[in-house]
Amino acid sequence: MTVSKPILLAEDNPRDAELALAAMEEHHLADKVILCHDGAEVLDYLYCRGHFKTRLQGNPAVVLLDLKMPKVDGLEVLRTIKADAALKPIPVVMLTSSREERDLVESYALGANAYVVKPVEFHQFLKAVKELGVFWGMINEPPPEGASRATGRAI
Amino acid sequence: MGIDKPGSRQAVDPDEESSLPPSPWRQRILTRVSFLSPLVHAFQNRSIEHRVLTGFGLVFTGILVISAISYRNMTVLIRNGHQDQRSHEFIQLLAATGEVMDDAESGHRRFLVTGDDGYLASYNTLRARAPEYLEYLRNLTDALSAQRGRVSQLEELIAQQLQKERRAIKLRTETGFESVRAMALAGIAKTELDAARHLQVQMEQDESKALAQRVVESTATTRSSIILLTIGALLLFVLLAAVYYLIRHDITERRRVANELQRRGELLEAANKELEAFSYSVSHDLRAPLRHIDGYASLLAKAATVSLDEKAKRYLQTISESATRMGQLIDDLLVFSRMGRQEMLHGTVNLNQLIASVLHDLRHDLQDRAISWTIAQLPEVTGDAAMLRQVFANLVGNAIKFTGTRPQALIEIGSQQSGQEEAVLFVRDNGVGFDMRYANKLFGVFQRLHRADEFDGTGIGLANVRRIIHRHGGKTWAEGALGNGATFYVSLPMTRPSA
Repeated sequence: MTVSKPILLAEDNPRDAELALAAMEEHHLADKVILCHDGAEVLDYLYCRGHFKTRLQGNPAVVLLDLKMPKVDGLEVLRTIKADAALKPIPVVMLTSSREERDLVESYALGANAYVVKPVEFHQFLKAVKELGVFWGMINEPPPEGASRATGRAI
Repeated sequence: MGIDKPGSRQAVDPDEESSLPPSPWRQRILTRVSFLSPLVHAFQNRSIEHRVLTGFGLVFTGILVISAISYRNMTVLIRNGHQDQRSHEFIQLLAATGEVMDDAESGHRRFLVTGDDGYLASYNTLRARAPEYLEYLRNLTDALSAQRGRVSQLEELIAQQLQKERRAIKLRTETGFESVRAMALAGIAKTELDAARHLQVQMEQDESKALAQRVVESTATTRSSIILLTIGALLLFVLLAAVYYLIRHDITERRRVANELQRRGELLEAANKELEAFSYSVSHDLRAPLRHIDGYASLLAKAATVSLDEKAKRYLQTISESATRMGQLIDDLLVFSRMGRQEMLHGTVNLNQLIASVLHDLRHDLQDRAISWTIAQLPEVTGDAAMLRQVFANLVGNAIKFTGTRPQALIEIGSQQSGQEEAVLFVRDNGVGFDMRYANKLFGVFQRLHRADEFDGTGIGLANVRRIIHRHGGKTWAEGALGNGATFYVSLPMTRPSA
């Protein structure tokens, strides 16, 4: 299994980001992680604009999305992704502190592929992030490029 | 002058002004109505419906009394009117009778002198009409009254007059003028006529006296009616005003309370929204630093593993554990807070199924434990299945936890039927129990009766149980003894509470 596609991690809190990267490092996934500090940056990356104007074309293997972020929040990013035919096939995993029912309901309603509550305990957090990275970055077969054009709205 | 100034300023000291006695008229009114105060007090202690009923009952009674008295007075006046008319007729008829009697006598005398039959017309009239007149007179008097008796006397006198005159006519016709000369000159029925006249005068006087008396009575009755109506109207007005005064307070109070309730409702809604935002923020923002504390402590332990001694490692361990525990506390508190706000669903809940599923979830805690379960047939109740599930998960979880030190744990889940409205359910164990002195603390938030190193837990479970059961309209209580097991009871209404 080779990791060909990057994992997009949207996390505004640098400490959370560092801890998440530390977790990824355990499975040598850290170099595949692209870190965005807010929702706007995520959208910039996905649409290859701004800071990411010159990046290689192609969608990430997965977007790990925090809910509360400055500028554009997680749900807004999720809405944009799932409303865009080209971005819709990208698996989106909500990775958040919130266990609030309305967040869960709204996320799934908008088409989130998974919802993970960040555990307070570091070892569990480590495990969760690692498993997410391994599953979505390595085990899961991402949709092929141009999936949206080939299969329409299927996901 | 300079010395006087401060004195004059003191005279208008506002303190002195405010200590002035209340105005004298007010005091006078207060003392005058003070005898009413127990009455007013009793009135004010009753409910507004009672007050309105009492007030209007009094007014209604007043109207009835006034109407009754007015009716009586009116009948007296009408009756007097009738009697006055009768009296006038009586007097007139009496006079007419007297005249007819006089005419008969004078006609008779002329006949005796002249022997001309034409003069007997009046005599014949009296004979023919007397019974009729007497009948009328009798009808115009009351039975058994003195007047009635006098009418009878008058009848007798007329009869005697007629008898004497008839005899004289006979004599005159048979024997001529000479035999009746003396009678013709003196008047044959003079004594009867005198007696009749005397009688008439008496009757007229009596009737006039009665008339005058009735006039006096009628005038008095009319006057008293007017006075009564005026006083009654005034009293009713005062009564109505008093009732209004006494319930007005209630009405304004009710209006005020309604406004206040609405205002509080709005405030409560705002507070609820704020609380929601608050707990949302807690859920999001408070957990992150805790994760960092634990995370960095772990990273530090890992990075410095060679240079750290056992003590330092234990410190780092403690930091991590504390952060984790606080995370647990926050989670539990959020659940507790949500439990109070969450919309409640109502359905029929099969408690036996619910207990079975709770035990299934707790199967990991049941490994390596010797527990003897006694689960009775439980009634179906109405409520929110998810919330009730949490209740029994807590109670059964506690029973499992607090029997941990027992080689053979006994846990019983049963019900006590207490009437048709309520089902009482209990979870009994033979665990460590508790001191009944602290029973009231059991269901409080973050209240624990055991040290953290004895039994783990955040102290929110039973608080959740109480909150859920209260929202269902039920009660929670517990019985136990230290070292001797505990029984936790919850009551649930069998029918859905209207709230």
